[in-house]
Amino acid sequence: MTFLQQLPIVFGALNVGFLQTLKLFGITLVGALPLGLIIAFGSMSRFRPLSIVTRFFVWIIRGTPLMIQLLIIFYFPSMALGQPIWGSGENGRFAASAAAFIINYACYFSEIYRGGIQSIPVGQLEAGQVLGMTRGQIFVRIMLLQVIKRIVPPVSNEIITLVKDTALARIIALQEIIWAGTAFLKGSQGISGQVWPLFFTALYYLVFSGALTLLFGWVEKRLDYFRG
Amino acid sequence: MILLEVNNLQKSFDGSAVLKNISFSMEPGQVLAIIGSSGSGKTTLLRCLNFLETPDAGEIIVKGQKLLGGASEEQIRKNRLHFGLVFQNFNLFPQYTALENITLAPSLLGLGSKQELRDNAMRLLEQVGLRQKADFYPYQLSGGQQQRIAIARALALRPEVLCFDEPTSALDPELTGEVLRVIRGLKNKDNTMIVVTHEMEFARSVADVVIYMADGVIEEMGTPEEVFEHPRSEKTKAFLRGAASVL
Repeated sequence: MTFLQQLPIVFGALNVGFLQTLKLFGITLVGALPLGLIIAFGSMSRFRPLSIVTRFFVWIIRGTPLMIQLLIIFYFPSMALGQPIWGSGENGRFAASAAAFIINYACYFSEIYRGGIQSIPVGQLEAGQVLGMTRGQIFVRIMLLQVIKRIVPPVSNEIITLVKDTALARIIALQEIIWAGTAFLKGSQGISGQVWPLFFTALYYLVFSGALTLLFGWVEKRLDYFRG
Repeated sequence: MILLEVNNLQKSFDGSAVLKNISFSMEPGQVLAIIGSSGSGKTTLLRCLNFLETPDAGEIIVKGQKLLGGASEEQIRKNRLHFGLVFQNFNLFPQYTALENITLAPSLLGLGSKQELRDNAMRLLEQVGLRQKADFYPYQLSGGQQQRIAIARALALRPEVLCFDEPTSALDPELTGEVLRVIRGLKNKDNTMIVVTHEMEFARSVADVVIYMADGVIEEMGTPEEVFEHPRSEKTKAFLRGAASVL
C-alpha cells in the first residue's frame, strides 16, 4: 500500500479515536467543574470533620498518578465484588475512564476554586452582609464573577492539560486517538509497523489546544471590564 | 424620643475584652462621633451594631425593639437592615457600575420597581455629587468618589442609623474634604449617624454627642464642647493633647 493509499485509512481511524478523546474531555469538564466546587466548599467547611476528610481525599487523589487511579477504578470493583460494575466493552471502559477523570480533575479544580474564593477580600462579603443579602446572594451576585475572573488563567491551564491527559485512558484500552495511532504500529486495516500515524496524533491535540487557548483569551477579555 | 439604645454591650476576642459594658443612647437625627486611639474598640462597636460581630452580652434596642438574641441567620439579616455601614476601604463591588452598586441590594430585597430603584439611586448620586459618574466602574473613580458612592449605597436601604467606620482614613488628604462634606450634608437632612473618626475638627463641628473610647470603655461622653473643651478624664486630656500635637 502506498502512503497516499494509507492516508485516508489512517485519518479515518484517528478521527474516530479523536472523537472518543473529545467525549472523555467533554464529560470530564461537565462533571469535574461543578464537582470541584462542591469539594472546594467541603474543604473550606467550618465543620472540621468534613474539611479534614475532604482535604485528605484531595491529598490522596492529587498525590497518586492518574494512571494508577484509572487502573484501580476499572479493576478494583470487579476484584472486590467478584463482578465488573462498568459494563463490558468500550462503553464500560469509557464509563470507568470518565469516573476516574472526573474525580481527579474535580480535586484539582477544587483547589483552584478554594484559592480563588479565599483571595476575595473579606470586605466584599461584609459589604453584602450589611446590605442585608443572604449567603447565596452574596456568593452568586458578589463573589462568583470576581472569583471566575481570578481563576480563568489557572483553570485554562488545567483544561489544556486535560486535553492531553485523556491519552492516559489508553492504560485500560479506551480507544482514544493514541490507541488508534498505536494500532497501525501493531497492525490494523492492512497497515502495520507504521509509527507516523502516532506522530500525526500530536497535530489533533495541537489544533484543539489552540482553539481552547483562543476561547480562554476571549473569556479573559470579556471579564476585562472591571478590576478587582 | 430614643431611637437607639445600647446597654452593657460586651465583646471579647480570645479572652481579651475589647468592649466592656458599653452603654449609650441616641435620639433621631443626632450625630454621634466616636473618637479614640487604635485598638480602643471603636470599630468593634460599629461591627457589633451591624451584626458583623456577635456581642457576648448586652442589648441593642432600636425604637424599643430589642435586636439581640436573634440567633437565626434570617433574624440577623433583618437586624442588620436597621443599620447601614460605610467601610474604611469602601468595599464597592468592582463588577458593578456606581449605579448598580446602589441598586443591587434594594432590588434583591424587592424594595421597588426597577425604574423606582433607578430613580432613587440617581437621586442619591445627585446628593453625593456624582450623578455624572453613574455608569462608571469603581476602578475608574478616585477614592473619595468611591467612598461617596459607598455612602449612597448605604443610604439606598434607608437605614435608621448610618454608621461610618473611619470613612476618610484610607483617603489621600486632599480627598477627605469631599467625603466629609457629604456626611455634613446628611446631618442637615436629619439622618441619624454614628461616625468613628480620627478627624477631630470634623467631630467637633458635626457631632451632637462625642464619645471618647479607651481600652474598651466609654471614657468620656458629652457634647463636643464638653469633651473637647472641658474633658474630665485624664485619659481624654492626654489623648486630645496627643491629637492636637499631630495637627
